[in-house]
Formats: sequence, C-alpha cells, structure tokens
Amino acid sequence: MLPLVSLTLFLPLVGAVLILCLPKPTARTVHGIAIVSAALTLVGALAMWLQGVSGDGFSQVEELEWMPAIGAAYRVGVDGISLPLVLLSAVLFLVSFIYTSSLRDRPRAYVALILLLETTAIGTFTALDGILFYVFFEVSLVSMYFMIAGWGHEDRQRAALMFFIYTLLGSLPLLLAILGLYLGSPDPTFDMRAWIANPPLEGAAAMWALIAMLITFAVKIPAIPLHTWLPAAHVQAPTVGSVILAGIMLKFGTYGLVRFALQMTPEAFREAGIVVLVFGVVSAIYGAFAALAQTDLKRLVAYTSVNHMGYVIVGVSAAALTLDPAVRATALDGAVLQMFSHGLVTGALFFLVGMIQERAHTREMGEFGGLLKTVPLLGWSFVLAAFASLGLPGLAHFPAEFQIFLATLGTTPIAVVVILGIAIIAGTFLKALRETFLGEPRDRWNKMPDLSPREILAVAPLLVLTVATGVAPSWVLDVIHRTTSALVL
Amino acid sequence: MNAVLLPILPPLIAALAALILRRGGAALALAGVALSLAGSLWLLAGVVDGQAQPLILPGLPDMPLRLVAGPMTALLSVAVATVGTFVLIYAVGYMKRESGQARFYAVMSLFLATMQALVLAGDWILLLAAWELIGLCSYLLIGFWFQRPEAANAASRAFLYTRSADLGLYVAVFMLIGSAGTSEIAASLDAGVSASTAAGLLLLLAAMGKSAQVPLQDWLMRAMAGPTPVSALLHSATLVAAGAILLIRSAPLLTPEALFAVGLVGGITTVAAGVIALAERDLKRLLAASTASQYGLMLIAVGAGVPLAALLHLLAHAAIKSSLFLAAGDFQHAREGTGFDQLKGVGRARPWAFAGFALAALALAGIPPLSGFFSKDAVIAAALSAPGAVWLVPLALAGTLLTGAYMARALRLLWRGSGDTRPVAGTGWMRAGIWGLAIPAAGLGLAFGPLETMLDLPAPETAGMGAILSGLVAALGGLALGWLVPVKRLLGPAHQWAESGLVVAGGLTACIGRPAMAVARRCDRLEDHLYAAALGVGHAAVNLARGGERLEQRLYLAVLGVGRANLAVGRWVRGGDERGIDGLIFALVAGVRALGARARTLQSGLIHHSLAISAVATAVLLAILFSASLSF
Repeated sequence: MLPLVSLTLFLPLVGAVLILCLPKPTARTVHGIAIVSAALTLVGALAMWLQGVSGDGFSQVEELEWMPAIGAAYRVGVDGISLPLVLLSAVLFLVSFIYTSSLRDRPRAYVALILLLETTAIGTFTALDGILFYVFFEVSLVSMYFMIAGWGHEDRQRAALMFFIYTLLGSLPLLLAILGLYLGSPDPTFDMRAWIANPPLEGAAAMWALIAMLITFAVKIPAIPLHTWLPAAHVQAPTVGSVILAGIMLKFGTYGLVRFALQMTPEAFREAGIVVLVFGVVSAIYGAFAALAQTDLKRLVAYTSVNHMGYVIVGVSAAALTLDPAVRATALDGAVLQMFSHGLVTGALFFLVGMIQERAHTREMGEFGGLLKTVPLLGWSFVLAAFASLGLPGLAHFPAEFQIFLATLGTTPIAVVVILGIAIIAGTFLKALRETFLGEPRDRWNKMPDLSPREILAVAPLLVLTVATGVAPSWVLDVIHRTTSALVL
Repeated sequence: MNAVLLPILPPLIAALAALILRRGGAALALAGVALSLAGSLWLLAGVVDGQAQPLILPGLPDMPLRLVAGPMTALLSVAVATVGTFVLIYAVGYMKRESGQARFYAVMSLFLATMQALVLAGDWILLLAAWELIGLCSYLLIGFWFQRPEAANAASRAFLYTRSADLGLYVAVFMLIGSAGTSEIAASLDAGVSASTAAGLLLLLAAMGKSAQVPLQDWLMRAMAGPTPVSALLHSATLVAAGAILLIRSAPLLTPEALFAVGLVGGITTVAAGVIALAERDLKRLLAASTASQYGLMLIAVGAGVPLAALLHLLAHAAIKSSLFLAAGDFQHAREGTGFDQLKGVGRARPWAFAGFALAALALAGIPPLSGFFSKDAVIAAALSAPGAVWLVPLALAGTLLTGAYMARALRLLWRGSGDTRPVAGTGWMRAGIWGLAIPAAGLGLAFGPLETMLDLPAPETAGMGAILSGLVAALGGLALGWLVPVKRLLGPAHQWAESGLVVAGGLTACIGRPAMAVARRCDRLEDHLYAAALGVGHAAVNLARGGERLEQRLYLAVLGVGRANLAVGRWVRGGDERGIDGLIFALVAGVRALGARARTLQSGLIHHSLAISAVATAVLLAILFSASLSF
C-alpha cells in the first residue's frame, strides 16, 4: 500500500528541491518540472479521492514516530472536511503553474516558492498533529510573503509586510491554544484525533483556548475587523499569488475554525456561538457593501471573498449552535462546500482580472467598456465566474450558500438577514459587468488579444469544475456529508 | 427515460449544441422546442389518464431534486412549449439580419428548458434554482445587444430587481422546508396546514419581483430594450409568468392575511399599471405595462382564493400577449422603431400583422367569444366571491376598463395616420408566428370547460350574470373611451405623472439603490480608516518594543539568530544567480542588524519585531516541550 497522503504532500517539495539543485536550469525546465510535479500531486489527490473517506473519524492515516517523549508525531490523514480542500489545492496549484509558465523574471525562485507553498497547503489540510499543523500553517506565510514582496505590483513591500505581520502575529494565539490543548490532555499528546475525540479543555480554559483560536482564524479568514491586510495584499500580489491566497490560504482559517474551534472546543463554541455568528453576519454584509463601492476589479473580487468567507463563519457557528445533528450536517456541508466553491470561483476571477491587467495595465472598471465584444472568450468566462460568485443556481456557490442559509434559519432565524449579502453581491457584479464588459467597445482596447491557449488551460478547468459542482454538487457533497453526518460534538 | 424529462431535455441539448456548433442555431432551437412541445403533450396525455410521473434526481444530501407532472404542471408545460415554438418560428424571420445568432438561439432554448424545469419542479430547491436561472436567461436576452448602453442598463436592472425580490423566495423556501422537514412541494401542500403569514408574504415578494407588481414594475418597461421575440416570451409564458405560477401553485399554503395582501397588491397593480399603459407613447412599453396590469388581475384571483381563475387568465394571457408582441415586432421592422409617432397608420401597411394584433387586443379587452372574455369573467367572479370583494371587485373592474381603453387607444394610433413603411425580410416566418398564437388567443376559451374538469380545482361560485355583465360593460366602456377620447383628456392632470410611470418618492432607485451605494461608500471610507488604524497599531507596537531596554537586548540576540539563518539562506539561493531574492534577503539581514541599534523606519522595524516575537515564542514552546519531555 502506497503512502498516498505523504506522497501527495511531499511531491511538490521534491519538485522544488529538484529545481533548486539543478545547475542553471532554463525557464522552460523550471516550469516543466513544476507542472509535472503539480500534475503528479493532482494524480495523488485524485487517488486519495478514489480511496475516499469512511464516515467515522479520519481515513488514510499515516503515522511516523517523531518526538515520542512529548507525544508529537508525524501524523497525516483526511476526512470529508479536508479531502475536498486537498483536491482543491492540487487543482488550483496545477492551473497556477500553467498560468505562470510564461514568467521569465526569476522563475526559479518563484516556482520553488509556489511548490513549497503547495506542500504547506496540503500539509495544513492533512496534518493530524498539532505541531505539524502549526509548522505547515506558519511556513506557508514565508512563501507568500516572498511571492508578494518579490513579484508583486508597485507598492508590494508595504503590502507584503502588512500581510506578514498581521498573519504572523495573528497565529501566535493559536500556538498558545495548541499548547493549552496539549497541557490539558490527560495523556499529553499532540494527536489532533485525540483532541477531537475527547476535547481536553473545559470551562474557562476551553473558552480562552477558543478565543485564541478565533483570533488566529479571524485574521486568516479574514473576518471583520481583522481583514485589512486582505485587500492590500491582493492588490499588490501577483496574479498567482492572489489566486492561491484567496483560493487556498483563506481556507486555512475556515478549515481551522471547523477542525480546531468547532471540533476541539465544542462546548465553548456553543456558548460563544452567537458572538461568532454575529461576526460572520457582519463580515458577510460589510464585505458585500465594501465590494459594491470598489472601482478596482481586483479589490472588488478581494472584498467578495470577505463576503463569501463570512457565510462560512455563519455556517460553522450555526453548526455549533444547533443541537439537531441533521441541521448541523447541513450547515457544515454548506460551509465546507462553500470553501471548495470559493476556491474555484475566486481563483477563476483572480486569473481573469490578472489577464485583464496584463493586457491593459489597469484594473479600473471605468477605463473599460464593451470588452465582451473585444475579447469574447475572456469576457464570457468572466460573466460565468461572476454569476457563479453571486450565487446563481447551477454554479458552485448556490448549493453551498443554500445549505448555509437553510441551516441558519433553522438555528437562529434572525441571522438569515445575512442573505441580503447575495443581493448586494449581485449588484456589485452587475455593475462591474456593465461597466467593464457591456456597452460600446472603446477604441483604446481594439487591439486587445483574447485568451491564449495557456490562459484557457489555466482558467477552463476551474470553470468546468464550477459548473460541475453547481449542477451535480453530490460528487463533492457525498464525501463531505459522510463525515459531517457522523460528527459528534 | 422518464417522460417528465421530455419537455426539458430537447431545448437544453439544443442550447448546448448551438453553443458548441456555432451554426444552425435556428434549426436546432426549433427542433428542440418542437420536441419539447411533443413531450409536454405526451406528458399531458399521460396525466389525463391519471398517472403521476415523478422523477427523483440527485441533489443535496437528504434533499433530492424532484420533477413531477400533475394536471396543472403538465398544462403549464404545454403552454410554455406552445408559446416557445411560435416565438421561435417568428424569431427566424425577425432575427434574420442580426449577428450573434448562436448566442440568441442557445439562450432562448436554455430559457425554455429552465422554464419547463420550473413548471415541472416537484421540490422547492429545483423550483428556486429554475426561478433564478430564468433570471439569468432574461439578463442575457434583454442585454442581447449589449453594446447599446440602454440594453446593458435594462438587463442589469431586470436582474437586480428580480434577484432582490428573490430573497423572499429563498427565505420562504427555507421556512417551508423547515416546517415540512422535506423539500418536496407536494409534502408542503399536503401538510394541510397553511404556512405562516410571513412565509406567504415572502412568496408574494418574490412573485412581485418576477411579475412586475407595484412597486417593482419599473424594470419590465425598460426591458423592452431587448429583441421583440424575447419580450414576447418573457411576458407570456416565462419570466413574468413565473411569479403568478408560484402563487397559483402555493395558493393552498397562504393564510387569509397573506391572501388579502396578494389580492391587494394585484388590485393596485392592475389599476396603476393600466394607467401607465394608457399614457405610454411607445407600443412595446404599453404592452409591457399591460402585462403588469394583467398579472395584477391574476393576483386578484389568487387573493380571492380561486387560483383556477388565475390559471385560466394566465393561459389566455400567454397566447394573447405573445401574439401582441410578435405583431409589434413586425411593425417595428416596418418602421424602425416602436414609438407611436413612428407607428402611425402602420396597421394599414401591415394588414396581416394588424389583424392578428387586433384579434388579440379584443381578446385581452375581454370581448366574447374570445378567450380573454372567459378568463376575465372567471377573475371577476372570483373577486365577487371573495371575502375582500369590496376591495377586489372595483379594482378588477377598473383593471378591465383600463385594459379596454389602452388597447383601443393602441389600435387607433396604429390604424390612423400614415408613414413610410419599409419592406420587411422574413415576413412569412413572422406571420406564421403571429397567427400561430393569435388563433389560440381567440379560441382558447372553448377549451376552458374540459380544462376545468381536468384540473379539478375549486371553481368560483357562479356569480351568474352579475360578473359577466359588469365585466362586459367595463370592457366595452373601456374600448369606447380609448377609441374616442384622447388620453390627455381621459387622464386629466394625472397624465404627466402616468407618463413618467407613476413614480412615487423618486422610485426604488432613490429609495433603495442610492442609500445602498451610500452605505457602500461609507464602508469603503471606513476601510481606509481601518487600514490606517492597523498601521497605527503597528507603530505603537514598535514604540512599545523600544521601551523595554532589556527586552530589546534579548530580542536583538534572537533576531540575530534569525538574521544569520537568513544570511545562510541568502548565500544558498545566490548559487542560483537570482539577484532579486538575494537583494531581498540582504536587505532583510541589513534591516535585522539595524534593528539592534533601534529600528528607524516603520517598515523595516515592524517585520523584524514580528520575526523576533515569533522566534521568542518558538523558544518558549521548545522550552516547554523540553521540560515536558524531561518530566516523563
């Protein structure tokens, strides 16, 4: 039996090492190695998908001794909550390498950084050991920091710093919480499975641990008011950086919210659930309004992420608050699917905005007009992604948001006001589409080329998956539901 | 294959094929809709024999999607397919000179497929999904000429209005699923208890958006910026009809209070939109306002507790309004516009289209023995039998009177005067489309008897001659007024207000749109403040760190360690002769050194403090781990 999880996890790292060890590789070789390792990683992720998960606890667990004296070990595995995120990571990183394969500006370091990031991303989702999780969670920051600082736009240094400081300081409370869980365990261990099976903390200790986790994850998700790094980072980050930041790294926060906050301190979460719910509702609506005011396409997409992640917070808190296992399963199904869908849709949107910027060197909506006529493929792809993002049925966000709202109404009826967000986001995207893609084409952009094969290869898989997830969500939901329906809190 | 898929799949496949092949769109769409019509007739025949035909598709966990054909839904499916068939036949002529054919026929086919799915939906989720998708299709069709700013605006407005109102359907569906424990529509209806008034009002809100009821009527008039076959389809059997269909289907769930609200909204709309129609200067916009007015009548019937009457009027209206629009498109091609100024006397120049238009106009006014007479009679009888008859009957009669008046006015304006008429390409196709729908518009009333038997819904208590006579008097009076009296005299001081669409308090844009944008801008400003605040916190942290001299010393040591590590990494990376990252790392190291002698700038200072803190934290962690491991 192959250790599938570990293979998938470390394949990108092997690629990165290979790239760094080769003496003076050409850009072609570098990109070739990156694409091959990412493709193999995707094969690994698909193999994991075929293996599937059992409803009970974690599957495909792989374990190695590491620091037995303190109960820390190399432990990886997946369940229905993490497996879709692993698949999402493998897909998004592969298309990112395809997109980035035209880069000639220091490709070696750039590609190695992204490969390192892929390992840390998959590691974060598969780690079953507190220390291992924290290491992956932290190391990902370094790669992203250098990506923004080294390959970003005009004001990149400042944005990279903002991002780094925020998320780094933000993650310290998680460390304390992890230590707390460790010290609270009757038989001290960093095994996350043990923490989930028997939440080690109670009472005030659990509440403090929860608060610490919530701070960390609120920065990462990001939730109002700890989100200010996000628009700054996105605006300056290179396209692939934005795709990965929004598509994968924001999910570290929401994933942690489920895996740690909900599963390891369930009682405290139930008590504080209303507060978290309010943060989610405010995030979603505030993010939607902030998006509505934007004229820069990339900032606009960045703020829609705040809105969409707000829904995830709402879903997870609904799951914490309810006592009905069926409602909880619905809420978590929605929250996890929302993470998956957001990765696909926002990934596609950031790619498309990046393609516009590459051609026009501006992202101001007011500068464009009639692009649907000038660059039809790019335009229609954007229309599709925009309607997916505003939650149209038949596209990826609808089943997720439907389940989140349904469970919310069943738990805390008043919180269903969060649904206003979908009308505001609709207004946001309609405005963006009207100003950028509809109307009279401008002479300035007459020469703008439509999508190249490389760009189609990057964005088409995401759009296809967006439609597939919207039309037949059961292919993902079956996996998620197997775990969420068996979840005991 | 389950028969219930027959009306849905062919247009869906046609849409995909038209998109992929990029040619032969018209033929594909026609084939698709013809098969869909055959399928729906087959379905109807099956239902008449009493077979229920459920189909369960995978959906959400524990909430599968269901398609079910019952008598009512199969009948509606036939109506959608019939209108769709003739509109598409007409479109072959109408769209002959347009580019973007593949897109047009693909979206029209998709529109028909999703409308079939909406009609045949057996569970709330599929209904909601189809409900939203027809919104997308109308966006794409109204905005078909997206280079024209007015089309782009109209499409955005239509989608935004209906989507906002759709929130009502979302929440209502959540409430219905929550109370029935299943998403099956039949289960909600069979539960025998009515949903809460709140759920009913939310359903009404959703229906008001789609069926353009006051105060959400404005988008419908602007939607005329789309191609005319699109308007014909939107107004008769698809988008706008969806609102009424929703209320007809969910009527058993509505509480008396909700029913009263439905009737009242319908009553107000039928009068207000009728007045707007009367004052319109553009034929298509007149027809659009008329649509809102007619759906108001249907809502009156639902509110009166007789959804059957609403359904009959929906069917009659579908045939009538689509033929009116198709004829209007014929005039539009003949005169290059739809303003009444341009259309003077066009009726004489295009007699075939005008005859179809006149027949449908009289049917809409409610002249026997045309279909509208029977359906309007049913609506008035329903209003008479309702508890709120005092309100509903005068409103329904006023709506009927206005219908006669604006249709007569339109006929007069189209018949009198003269203008230059151009030859029209594709007349044959267009004529076929118009008459294919004008004939049912005229004769559908004959089928109402058997339909009522088949539907087996409670009919209005026969109010006898009262309803028939009052309706007839209102219709004839309206026709006479509209033909004889100029509209300015008829409406008097209200004319200008009506011409501007009876806008109250600046309309929805002023009441909701602008405040929403204001909130958005305020959020954006708040964003700037938050960002500044975050930077400020960063500054403060640096200052705090400067305060502790001893801490500083230790930090320095820790930082130096990190710096050395960085230096090593830097050397290693330099092997790869990539200066950028080198430079970066060296800058970092230099910054680290500088920090020891106090960071001067915020930027270099902050990050190294953070690095330091993380290093210290790591050290603490390791110390704890170490001591923990010692204690075992």
